[in-house]
Amino acid sequence: MNPARILVVDDTPFNRRLLIRLLEGIGHSAVEAQDGREALERLRDASADPIDLILLDIVMPEMDGHETLAALKADDALRDVPVIVISGVDELDSVVRCIRMGAADYLPKTVDPEILQARIEASLVQKRLRDNERDLLATIDRQRSQLARFLSPQVAALVSSADGEAMLAGHRREITAMFCDLRNFTAFSETAEPEEVLGFLRAYHAAMGELIVQHEGTLEHFAGDGFMTFFNDPVLQPDHAARAIGMAVAMRDRFAGLSADWRRRGHVLEIGIGIATGYATLGRIGFEGRYDYGAIGNAIILASRLSGEAAPGEILVAARTFVEGEADARIIAEPAGDRSLKGFSRPIPTYAITGLGERSGDADRAAESVTT
Amino acid sequence: MTLDPNAMTRLLEITGGDVAFVDELVDTFFEDASTQLDALRAAGAANDVAAIVRPAHSLKSNSLNVGATVLADQCRSLEADGRAGEVAGMAARIAAVEAEFASVRAALLETRAAR
Repeated sequence: MNPARILVVDDTPFNRRLLIRLLEGIGHSAVEAQDGREALERLRDASADPIDLILLDIVMPEMDGHETLAALKADDALRDVPVIVISGVDELDSVVRCIRMGAADYLPKTVDPEILQARIEASLVQKRLRDNERDLLATIDRQRSQLARFLSPQVAALVSSADGEAMLAGHRREITAMFCDLRNFTAFSETAEPEEVLGFLRAYHAAMGELIVQHEGTLEHFAGDGFMTFFNDPVLQPDHAARAIGMAVAMRDRFAGLSADWRRRGHVLEIGIGIATGYATLGRIGFEGRYDYGAIGNAIILASRLSGEAAPGEILVAARTFVEGEADARIIAEPAGDRSLKGFSRPIPTYAITGLGERSGDADRAAESVTT
Repeated sequence: MTLDPNAMTRLLEITGGDVAFVDELVDTFFEDASTQLDALRAAGAANDVAAIVRPAHSLKSNSLNVGATVLADQCRSLEADGRAGEVAGMAARIAAVEAEFASVRAALLETRAAR
């Protein structure tokens, strides 16, 4: 048992002297106060060593035990310091009241040192357990917010959630995957200064990252000019196809602003996006020491191939994604032919997204508000 | 009998038989008790019923510490009556407390001398 610093609060010098003597006899150090007011002053003195435990008399002038206890429990910084009430033989009613007010324990005035030691130890152990628990929760919270800066917020939340382990172990789910990369990026990075390339990538990642967060996509990773984002996992999103298409349109619009700026500096950069929907296996991918939350499946490969097929500025989506997306959003698109893609035995019907329209219901409502 | 010898035995027991320290404690009791007696006397002279509660309580718990059971009983009833707001025969009872304290003190000093 580590020595503790204990505050003895009692108005009777006899009791203070005796308790201090007993406490020192069992290896603790003691500080005294003759009433509640003096005790609170000592406890709130930031320059003095912190108190681990309080032995509190009940009947005292100035501020009695009940008032002191109430003040302690109302004070965020002092609430957790354990209080053992020291009571006379005819003060049992007051003891009950003190315990209800949050006192940890009580002891008679002339107490056996062994009992004193046992009660103090029990209170300090409880306090340490509570402190550990509080520290642990604070650590988890801090780690979660740190993790959220490295991982998708959804994945960071998943890691520290109750069913996180099972989800990370791997599961099958229908997702919509989106691949985005840049045309001419290799040529650009060969001709531009490295600082320019990095500056461009930072602006590009910041702009695209903001849209991913806004559309609540799960970002698997950024790799240079390309990145893969998926929807409907780990958080379920029934409108995953529409979300992916909506985000792609927003990205293309945002990229137009960025690329105009770079075109003036002589660099022609274009975005190409591919989107596909299908089943994938999701979970922890990698090796001990370095895992990513990743997705494996045909939909991912298809989205990647479509992104490669996409013309500059084009959003090329699998027909299935277009059909599913239309259930949740008004999507303006044109058929872009059946594409023969590496690794796919049959041609894949595709659409090129023009933009998003108002839903027919929205248009009716808008029309109504104009006429009335 | 004004003094319960068990209290002293117990004090020696829990302090590991430290006679010098117990003597100091008893001296502390004498000093503190005379402060409380002064306060009781003043309250009695002013006929201030409320003012006897604190010194009576304090002297009561001090008396119990050294085994002065009669003195503790006298103080306990003064404290209770003081809280109730009516102390019958206050002056005489305070005088009795003073007399009892004198014999407790004598008995404690005698115990010490006899060692």
